[in-house]
Amino acid sequence: MSEKIDLSPIKEMELRASRIPGVVSLAQGVPSFDTPETVKSAAIEAIEKGKVAKYSLAPGTLEFREAIAQHLEKENKFFDFEKEVIATAGSIEAITATLLAIIEPGDEVLIPDPTYTSYQSAIKVARGVPVFVPLDEKNHWALDIEKFEKLITPRTRAFLFCNPNNPTGTVFARNQLHALAQLAIKHNLYILSDEVYKDFVFDSGEKLYSLAELRGIRDRLVYIYSFSKAYAMTGWRIAYLATHQDLSARILAVHDALVTCAPVISQFAAQAALEMADKEVMRFRNYFRKRRDLICKRLDKLSHVFEYQKPDSAYFVFPRIKKDILQKIAPDGGSWQFAIELLEKAKVATVPGSAFGPNGENHIRMCFGRSEEDINLAFDRMEKYFNEQGTKINDQ
Amino acid sequence: MKNLFKKIIQHYLKLFTKIILWRHKPFIVAVAGSTNKTTTKDYILKFLREKYGEKEVRGNPKSYNTEIGLPLAILYLNSGESSALRWLKILVQAKIRALFGRKFPKKLVLEFGVEEKGDMKYLLEMVRPNVAIVTNIEGSYTYSNSGLEKIFEEMKIMAENIPKDGYILLNADDERVNGLKKHTKAKTFTYGFSENADARAENLKTDAQGQTFGFVFQGKKEFVRIKKYGRTNIYAWMAAKVVKNIL
Repeated sequence: MSEKIDLSPIKEMELRASRIPGVVSLAQGVPSFDTPETVKSAAIEAIEKGKVAKYSLAPGTLEFREAIAQHLEKENKFFDFEKEVIATAGSIEAITATLLAIIEPGDEVLIPDPTYTSYQSAIKVARGVPVFVPLDEKNHWALDIEKFEKLITPRTRAFLFCNPNNPTGTVFARNQLHALAQLAIKHNLYILSDEVYKDFVFDSGEKLYSLAELRGIRDRLVYIYSFSKAYAMTGWRIAYLATHQDLSARILAVHDALVTCAPVISQFAAQAALEMADKEVMRFRNYFRKRRDLICKRLDKLSHVFEYQKPDSAYFVFPRIKKDILQKIAPDGGSWQFAIELLEKAKVATVPGSAFGPNGENHIRMCFGRSEEDINLAFDRMEKYFNEQGTKINDQ
Repeated sequence: MKNLFKKIIQHYLKLFTKIILWRHKPFIVAVAGSTNKTTTKDYILKFLREKYGEKEVRGNPKSYNTEIGLPLAILYLNSGESSALRWLKILVQAKIRALFGRKFPKKLVLEFGVEEKGDMKYLLEMVRPNVAIVTNIEGSYTYSNSGLEKIFEEMKIMAENIPKDGYILLNADDERVNGLKKHTKAKTFTYGFSENADARAENLKTDAQGQTFGFVFQGKKEFVRIKKYGRTNIYAWMAAKVVKNIL
């Protein structure tokens, strides 16, 4: 019997929030922007030219995959677009199809703790067992390679992670990634590297280092990228994976069984995004940087409630709830009850940290992909709420 | 209204492109086909720039290869995207460049994006290539596609229009493309993995550093290593090498 799969706590919070009038949501990781005009125009043109009504080849149109490979080349990642690139219905389909292709029931898949909630579900769908590798909060949520290796067993098949990490915004360092790659070779593991937030790195002058640049592990590395966040295309359900052709062939068979092909209209839209929307990505990044600074400023005012680490990337902040506050507001229910209280009493939706793994307990995730108005409104409400709870606002 | 505006832009861009090409008379290499145009163009640019210098050779930036993109590539201008004002500025710049511009590269390497019947005729009315390369004629859909025959007919028009002293390079491993041999008076070279190809790749090997192969052309053989993966990159490299050798 497979383990029961519950609705992701992020969606659960959004669902609860939708039932309460006037809630401002910092829960789901949805950018506030609309898809760029050039992308929408390309999709309209594809419809008008009659290109989208029928199935594409299972891995996607040749033109889209070629555009992907050319884009990856600019980032020092080399893949054969004919055999090593698959367009997928969102990154979660890429992840699920990969897991179904590489693991047997009962196999273990290591995931960072905390990390994106849906990884656990995807592993369970593939009848695998998620095993949490605690990240080091004191060290800006870095990977602890020693802990990582200790958790490897004969049943371990893969390590699935996102870089930058959701919900902590951590950019994993090159030396940590190299150590990870060495362990993968030593223990014969696959690595699934989900880089959906790679375009939103705020402070580092250097671009994000990706394990897909490391040629020595291309036979065990599955690179995954989604257009959802960078190009404000969450509703288009379009992403891709790139990996060695032998592994790609196995994943393609599962992908074909799951969805036949990625939505063809979205393939045309995403191709246009790669070819014409670079400036929009830069514009979004600049907005997110400003919003990151805004949310940090607002969190500073709530320093008696939260302590946090400034995120380097993505559009989430993952503050720890101070012990006395948590005791007062959610005496028995931890971050889940705390988030429910915030939702019901302050009308602000967030995601409880426990959703991202045991190490995420006592935290909540706030998304600053939302508009500045929403961020300000949410914090005005939280300040008022914590005031009413008898906690003092620190105005410094 | 939008369509009318597009047609006006298209008309003037075509006119200015014809003027600038008439004034400077560059040597033109056209790359057509379903896919692999950009990689082929990039390798040709690399090889020709090595031979003739950076400034003497220019190609399409981005994917500027259609009825509006190609003139922009030749006139060396950016797209106005959805801004009417920007397009008007572009037309003014295009006119100035076409009529008065002095600097122009001696060689152009241009992608030809062809999707519909009539596209090739339109592009050839603007640009008369000296060398044409047809990379492949392939489909992206699972059903049998009459569209591919349509594309073949378009490529045929290009093959017929390359002058006798020009060259056409055809992918020997693509049956449709190979069939274009019959429709040209230009000198023809085929390239591919097939035994019959004039320029041939053999002993393809893949490793962590990329791909290696032997390249055989005009009685000479060389060992080649490229860091990219996939046969498409080898086709592109071979086509570019043949262009370099024959020019």
